Amino acid sequence: MTIRKRFLSLTVAIGLSAVALTACSSGAPGADEPVPTGTVAGAPSWCGPKQITLGLLDGFGGNSWRLITTAAGADEVKKCPSVTKYEYADGQGDTQKSISDIQGMVAKGVNALVVFPDAGEAMLPALRSAYQAGVVTVPYRVNPGGKDGVDYDAWIGADFTTDGANWAKWIQTNLPDGGNILFMSGPKGNSQGEDEYNAMTGILDPAKYKFIGETPFEPTNWDPALSQQVLTSAIAKNPKIDVIVSDFGPSLLGALPEFQKSGRSIPALVTSDGNSLGCFYEQNKAANPDFKMMTVATGNDNVRLAVQYAVAKATGGTLPSTTKFEAPVFEDSVSGTPNPVECKSDLPGDIFLSAEMPAADQAALLNK
Amino acid sequence: MFATERQVTGLARPRRRASKGLITVGVALVILLVASAVLAPSSISQGAVLGMLPFASVLAVVGLGQMLVVQQGGIDLSVPGAVSLAIVVVSRIPNGDDSLLVPAVLLAFGFAALAGLLNGFLVGRLGLNAIIATLGTNALLFATVLGISNGSPTTTTRLLQSVAGGVSFGIPHSVFFAAAVAVIVIVLVKKTVAGRRFEAIGANPVAARATGLRVRVHQTAAYVWGQMLYCIAGILLAGITAQPTAFQGNTYLIPAVAVVVLGGTSLLGGRGFPLATVVAAVFLSQLDQFNLAVGVPYAVRTLVQAAALAVGVALYTIDWSRVRARFGSSTKSKPVATTA
Repeated sequence: MTIRKRFLSLTVAIGLSAVALTACSSGAPGADEPVPTGTVAGAPSWCGPKQITLGLLDGFGGNSWRLITTAAGADEVKKCPSVTKYEYADGQGDTQKSISDIQGMVAKGVNALVVFPDAGEAMLPALRSAYQAGVVTVPYRVNPGGKDGVDYDAWIGADFTTDGANWAKWIQTNLPDGGNILFMSGPKGNSQGEDEYNAMTGILDPAKYKFIGETPFEPTNWDPALSQQVLTSAIAKNPKIDVIVSDFGPSLLGALPEFQKSGRSIPALVTSDGNSLGCFYEQNKAANPDFKMMTVATGNDNVRLAVQYAVAKATGGTLPSTTKFEAPVFEDSVSGTPNPVECKSDLPGDIFLSAEMPAADQAALLNK
Repeated sequence: MFATERQVTGLARPRRRASKGLITVGVALVILLVASAVLAPSSISQGAVLGMLPFASVLAVVGLGQMLVVQQGGIDLSVPGAVSLAIVVVSRIPNGDDSLLVPAVLLAFGFAALAGLLNGFLVGRLGLNAIIATLGTNALLFATVLGISNGSPTTTTRLLQSVAGGVSFGIPHSVFFAAAVAVIVIVLVKKTVAGRRFEAIGANPVAARATGLRVRVHQTAAYVWGQMLYCIAGILLAGITAQPTAFQGNTYLIPAVAVVVLGGTSLLGGRGFPLATVVAAVFLSQLDQFNLAVGVPYAVRTLVQAAALAVGVALYTIDWSRVRARFGSSTKSKPVATTA
């Protein structure tokens, strides 16, 4: 009995000291000592000389866009030799797990964290505590609320107003006489769709361009089945749809043929890119005289900017000039600039040719 | 007099009277179609109907599967996982290669059979609560979905798109599939010995066991058949949507139960009403289309669906004669006194 008790207390003591040691080693890395600045030979300017460990955290890693984005993040990290250790964790769509992933990485003593805060503001306390523990904390893409320099170092968000503005400019150029616009976005009230709508209405003259259907957008949850139902109804209801705007192009693949079933041409489509969509355009453009297409990059490279910022801050490199990721225009079937519509029919449909990562590498990633 | 009349209808000619469920959903559908024609003509235009029918067909097939399980007093909450798994298997495995489609379809049915046997084993043999057991199976199915697809099922093959999503003689192919499934279910359940036993067991498993019927086998079979039908629905849905998500089945959990209930099948088990279930699927799908055409905001659309379900449940579960008696008690106090 006494032996067992002694053994128990010994175990507890070892356990406690282990916890204490971990806490010591993780205690505010890089917070007190000034980060040496400078550059590393052969590395980009954002890569400073101080050696660090970096953690990339995903809120939900389970789709092709996320797989490619994660790989892009890892690829960007590799460009800087000062990052001696790289770790990845997937929250699997579980907010609780995402929070404990952050806490676990902080406890392990990482110097910089790049976080996709899917759960939004629910992630803010965890981000703040990591930041306060002295870890360079960079949330990206989804807005977690809070402020740069108070709750985290910087939020590297996607600037969806740029997308809206790019779409609106294309519509102005290609439909100068005005027309009916159907705008489809994700779940009701999502801020991405609202930002895009506000940017579009800020540019397009309301006297000429009319948004049909629910405003700011027709909610489709980015679900292909619901998109199809919404579009079917819109086609039946509106004899004239001149342009469809969607912030997730590939979800419309099953829906667009509804136009042909009603004996009408697919109209102009302004959206975000995807290989399957490019191939759909190539196959259907001949039969649909009004089908023109323009896409903006889906934004897999948003993560690269976030990694650059986090690495620069933690290693003492040069900070990127912006904290907003602006998706560039990618394809334009009318002008062909910057690119004509692209289709790689021998590669999977759900790769994104707009991403920096080569198409073949993306395909290899998805076929794993 | 009463007895003889019963004998005559029972033996000389089988009951052909439409069920209460069929009459109810049939009337509801007619009212809805009239309302559509008056308030939102675009929702019954050719294009809108052709767009609605494929989803109605998928819902009908899922609903028939759920009905078989509900007939045995069970409930199957693994519908989302089952539909999603079928979608992922038939899109991800061929990965665009038409020649691999048939093996993938067979594999999907294999998975469905396994999931059905598992549900049947847990509920029929071990006697677990159906809600808990099938929820667990649902989680397992989604794990398989993620394992196979990494969360992205990719585009369905061209062949499947034309087989499941195509149109012949002006009618979407999925309608033919759903009609075939409905006919098979009706014939098997209503016209075969096994089907009659199946229904008898659902009505009263204790009595059925006493008469020597193999209750567990039939209960397990209900889950297996259910899974087969969800699998068919998933394959159809993959073809219809062309680029489905890995979680496409999620939206079918509630509607699958709703059409069974609206069709008049009791959640306590017993007789099933396949035709009424199919009509209910068309009703719910047209209701969606109607709401879209009228331009009801998204939030209200969800409320309308919920209201339809609530009304459906209320129609069959509330003892209306008693309600009438209670509210009419001031004028007719005698009947209440006698029933009480």
